[in-house]
Amino acid sequence: MKKLEILGTGCPKCSQLAASAEAAARELGVEYELVKITDINEIMKYGVMVTPALAVDGEVKVVGKVPSADEIKALLS
Amino acid sequence: MSDCCGKGAADGAASGCCGEASGRNVLLYACSGGANVAEISDRAARELMFSGCGTMFCLAGLGAGIQGMLQTAKDADLNIIIDGCPVGCARKVFDNAGITNYRQIRVTDLGIEKAKGVRSTDEQVSQVVVLAREAIAEA
Repeated sequence: MKKLEILGTGCPKCSQLAASAEAAARELGVEYELVKITDINEIMKYGVMVTPALAVDGEVKVVGKVPSADEIKALLS
Repeated sequence: MSDCCGKGAADGAASGCCGEASGRNVLLYACSGGANVAEISDRAARELMFSGCGTMFCLAGLGAGIQGMLQTAKDADLNIIIDGCPVGCARKVFDNAGITNYRQIRVTDLGIEKAKGVRSTDEQVSQVVVLAREAIAEA
């Protein structure tokens, strides 16, 4: 089970990133848990200063952008 | 913190700067060492940040290998490094981490002599700010 964490305060790009990450995980057939972290203080604990960001199993993979579906798949596989 | 909804860009546009105003994610770093040139680097980075040219970020965090901070720097559109002197500690932090999307500015390249126990001047800080703005615009 992969833990997908969306770091962002809830703006449209954060939602877009969450949807893309979920879609990528489903297409790969990967079991996942999606967690949205919206508290800025919690986000900053990850060392992230620009949102949205995606962390996979606790490791920050993408910061400040919404990657393509293929890019997210590469991160998850 | 820069959000993804363009607040920084709007602030930058108001200042006429070329970093966040263009929608780019520009991160600023100062060596912030002990000499006068390091104080200049720190003051210049803050001036750039408060005028909307980018977001100042934590060089110490990169040096410490904080994973999320390293990824933040890697994914930035541009990292502006302001080193005080030719030792180039800030740049070496980036090189050691394998992060290449940066432009380096060195305060001593402006003819400012490195010294201990000497305070920076507003004019020196302004010189560095101008150089950094040019670097941001060119990158």
